[in-house]
Amino acid sequence: MCLGIPGRVVEVHDDRGLAMGVVDFGGVRREVCLAYIADEVQPGDYALVHVGFAISRIDEAEARRTFEALREMSQLDELDWLREVAARELAELQERATP
Amino acid sequence: MKFLDEYRDGAIARALAAQIRRTATRRWVLMEVCGGQTHTIVKQGLDELLGDAVEMIHGPGCPVCVTPLEQIDKALELASRPDVIFTSFGDMLRVPGSECDLLQVRARGGTVRIVYSPLDALDLAVRNPGRQVVFFAVGFETTAPANAMAVWRARELGIPNFSVLVSHVTVPPAMVALLSDPANRVQGFLAAGHVCTVMGWTEYEPIAVGFKVPIIVTGFEPLDILEGIHLAVRQLEEGRYEVENQYARAVTREGTVPARTLVERVFQLADRKWRGIGEIPASGLALRDEFAAFDAERRFTLGTASVAEPAECRAGAVLRGQLKPHQCPAFGRSCTPEHPLGAPMVSSEGACAAYYNYGRFRAPEPVEAT
Ligand code: SF4
Repeated sequence: MCLGIPGRVVEVHDDRGLAMGVVDFGGVRREVCLAYIADEVQPGDYALVHVGFAISRIDEAEARRTFEALREMSQLDELDWLREVAARELAELQERATP
Repeated sequence: MKFLDEYRDGAIARALAAQIRRTATRRWVLMEVCGGQTHTIVKQGLDELLGDAVEMIHGPGCPVCVTPLEQIDKALELASRPDVIFTSFGDMLRVPGSECDLLQVRARGGTVRIVYSPLDALDLAVRNPGRQVVFFAVGFETTAPANAMAVWRARELGIPNFSVLVSHVTVPPAMVALLSDPANRVQGFLAAGHVCTVMGWTEYEPIAVGFKVPIIVTGFEPLDILEGIHLAVRQLEEGRYEVENQYARAVTREGTVPARTLVERVFQLADRKWRGIGEIPASGLALRDEFAAFDAERRFTLGTASVAEPAECRAGAVLRGQLKPHQCPAFGRSCTPEHPLGAPMVSSEGACAAYYNYGRFRAPEPVEAT
């Protein structure tokens, strides 16, 4: 949880006054809060994301290198948490859909 | 892949290490604060490349490792309540409390859910209005902006069944505590680059000057670390004590101002106990009074008994840099990542786990008399 994970901002939107966006982390996509760097990013930009919050903008080369370094060090646990949350939400949706 | 090649390049690393050895006229003792840096150093064997020029001490920079037993026990107590959905980052689930861990509470029927972002926990509260959702707000400055926003949003949206169990720690007071210890051996620091992306480095400036220690803001890749070490050694040799930024590609002096601002609005400085180290004044964050309604410790009546660490675990000495992990008698014997006695063996960011996982150290080493 201490090393930020770089990702590419795919889409930007507003959730009841909070700047949010979809970020792609090496193929895994999820909602990220963009509020802290809202003025600096638009779709296509790269950002360092800490537990679901974009904290700083970085350039593409830096993003790629950092991502590979994290993969190399097996420091991408957060992506597993993210998958666990996604799987749970899907299961809950299915549960609700089956009467 | 090609982006990493130059950084993975052993030839450049060896050249840098040779340069460090040439610069050093004596043996210097440096501490890397961040657990991610510890892992790079141990995994890549940077400590061996440095020879006699520099000894690296592994600092307390793993929030999982320093979360005090009392807070873990409170988390376990909350997670056991039938009315509570307890939410946490994934790496807190296996941290041993005095009786068990969150995974065991879950096996016994407690509702414990991993979240990726604290906003996921807030979402769960909205979707489960009949339950109390508690989020375990741990971490250093890197998670504080996220946790601050979750509380801020909870108030803004008026979500009554959401609260946070706060155990936030901040890096600079821990550095001051280490430097003020009469047994301190640290002569310079590598500050954690990713922490500084949030906070910048203004807080480190008085520490560098006051204690005469170079502080180098450093990334976590192998060449970053060697470069950081080189900058620190050069300052020490020249008698300079400043904050220098090795990680300019991601860090600015002021950090991310909107994030710092919200952290300050939601949290205030508080005394915090660090697991293995003890209480450090003003070394953590607690919710400000205006957010008291979202404080799990005020919403629920929780046990407050102070609990003793397992006597065998030497995490305190390890986290202070007075003992290397493999010098702990339990290392690799009664304490392994599968059956951790102390938090530094649990977390992937912990120093004991780093020593064990990379297979360079598997059994305890006798401690030399000092
Ligand atoms: S090896 Fe295990 S028992 Fe020893 S200090 Fe590390 S965590 Fe504690």
